[in-house]
Amino acid sequence: MLTPTVLFVLALAAGLYMAWNIGANDVANAMGTSVGSGALSFRRAIILAGIFEFCGAFFVGSNVAETIQGGIVSPRALAPRRASVVKTPSPPGGGRAAASAAAAAPAGAEIRAAELREPGREAMRKTAMKLALGMLAALLAAAVWLNIATFFGQPVSTTHTIIGAVIGFAIVDTGLASVNWWAMGKIVGSWIISPLAGGIVAYILYRCIRRFVLRSPQPIHMAERAVPLGFGAVVLIITLSILYKGLPRLRLDLPLLTALPLALTAGLVAAVTARTVIYRRMRSRPPPGQRYDVVERWFGRIQPVTACYMAFAHGANDVANAVGPLAGVLELVSGGEPAARAVMPAWLLALGGAAIVVGLATYGHKVIEAVGKKITEITPSRGFSAEFATASTVLVCSKLGLPISTTFVLVGAVMGVGVARGFGAIDLRVIRRILTSWVITIPVAAILSALIYCVLGAIEG
Amino acid sequence: MRDLSQIFGRSPFETLTEHARKVHQCVALIHPIADAIIAGNSDRLKELQHEMSKTEYEADLLKDQIRQHLPHRYFLPVGREDVARFLAQMDTIADYAEDFAVVATFRTIKLPADLHADFMALVEKVANVSESLLNVAEHVAELQKEAFVGAEADDVLAKIQDVCHMEWESDKLSRRFARKYYTSQALDPVEVLLLEKLCQALGGIADHAENVGKNLRLMITRK
Repeated sequence: MLTPTVLFVLALAAGLYMAWNIGANDVANAMGTSVGSGALSFRRAIILAGIFEFCGAFFVGSNVAETIQGGIVSPRALAPRRASVVKTPSPPGGGRAAASAAAAAPAGAEIRAAELREPGREAMRKTAMKLALGMLAALLAAAVWLNIATFFGQPVSTTHTIIGAVIGFAIVDTGLASVNWWAMGKIVGSWIISPLAGGIVAYILYRCIRRFVLRSPQPIHMAERAVPLGFGAVVLIITLSILYKGLPRLRLDLPLLTALPLALTAGLVAAVTARTVIYRRMRSRPPPGQRYDVVERWFGRIQPVTACYMAFAHGANDVANAVGPLAGVLELVSGGEPAARAVMPAWLLALGGAAIVVGLATYGHKVIEAVGKKITEITPSRGFSAEFATASTVLVCSKLGLPISTTFVLVGAVMGVGVARGFGAIDLRVIRRILTSWVITIPVAAILSALIYCVLGAIEG
Repeated sequence: MRDLSQIFGRSPFETLTEHARKVHQCVALIHPIADAIIAGNSDRLKELQHEMSKTEYEADLLKDQIRQHLPHRYFLPVGREDVARFLAQMDTIADYAEDFAVVATFRTIKLPADLHADFMALVEKVANVSESLLNVAEHVAELQKEAFVGAEADDVLAKIQDVCHMEWESDKLSRRFARKYYTSQALDPVEVLLLEKLCQALGGIADHAENVGKNLRLMITRK
């Protein structure tokens, strides 16, 4: 018999493992180029990544986490079938919770409603139990699949895995109807659109850098302007994402009209500061022969900034993969009624963020080292385009509550720079491999999670 | 993620420059060969032909290496055909240089002293064409890093113009030399035939050097 506490401890372990995994593997996305180009030392990269991953997870992580917790499989949909025996005129689509069915019973059947109230509470507990079991199954399935895939050297996304796993247990429990297909459609749509968006933004950015900086008669002069502009833009977007509809607990849920001026001010201050610093350092003009190198050096100066931006966006989107399912289990322990709309406790986000930081601190350096040495192709100006585009796209999706794969978006952005003639050669086979693993991951994760759910259900009895 | 490092295929541009260097090594051999022709030193010619064939073979290896790593699945900043054409033209230069070396070994030519200066001027000019082409090709990898724009690109375009100009000059020298050996009384017909063949090889080198330059210009200016 699985008591709620046992369930929670198991889920906590699985969730923290997921978060560790995310931190260990994906941090190289953000920091690989900066370390590879020598703009950051390992130590600094790890420290900066830790700070920004945590901030992203804590301040912006709730939107996506709530989607995973309650947006795809509504707890109501998992309510026992018995509820549907009470015939109430209900709109099609999704099951009805016993509690609401009882409440919605015809006024004449008061006695029957009273009879149902007690079973209703029981049913609620059962629903919470089911959700907890299912989310635990999803976490375990995701952890297993990630390890298998890594063992075979296949690139898989944690996001795709966890979403597949969440659908898996829901389908095996109550059938296809329990999945909110509208939300699911939006998510799958965002998986296709987000790499495209990242690619387009990166393409435009790199074309602009080429047109206005590299090709200009005074490239260094233009770089001095472009670099503070980029820095200001990063600060602006991060500030806006924290302030606009942020965490209500910390009173960070400002309306756009308040948040935007604040963010603009922060961005402006950052840009002006950066420009002042640059002018101070640019007293001695380099000989014209090395102009290109100087331009790249300037972009190199803000490489750590875009890297932090990436870490922030990544934390904001990916912490949900670990914390979202965990929140479902937490509901059972706290004994609360499964809410129609999930509200993510801040401490859970902090915990997830911390686990990501532990992951990148303990293992991330190995991945960064492996990646950083190989991606020397990404010079600072190219890295800026690709990373800025990726981070912005991921952050927008995070605010919209769409769980997407950061790696996919980054690959899209790199392709975008490639289309703008940025790279020597891009191997399209890798793209195909990533797409294949994407298509495979969802059903495999779903089946795995369904199996684990059945096993857990059998143990639970 | 680790996959990101795999997304970058082998850039062909570094190897293209390496290949261009090898090809120029072949062309650079025509100078000692011409000296040996004038000296009538057939042993030295054989030796040089041997060296030429070795260098040409090495260039071929590099060429195959680039072609092998240039499958359809690569996504390049320049047209795939542009790279292939660049390579093919470069290869032809090496082939003509080898032709020159081989023809020189067929038979010793007693080149009259009044033709020496013209012959050497032509050889010198052709070697210069190839050298200025190498000067251009050295910058290909650099150009790719700079996204084919900026001061460097303008510089390379100007250098390509130099190559074309020198090819035109070598053509003029070749014509002048031809008029002289066709009218020379001191040469027998077979020698004239051989000189004709040697000049053809030299002309081929210069022509294809110009083609490589033009091809590169197309690569750069594709916007």
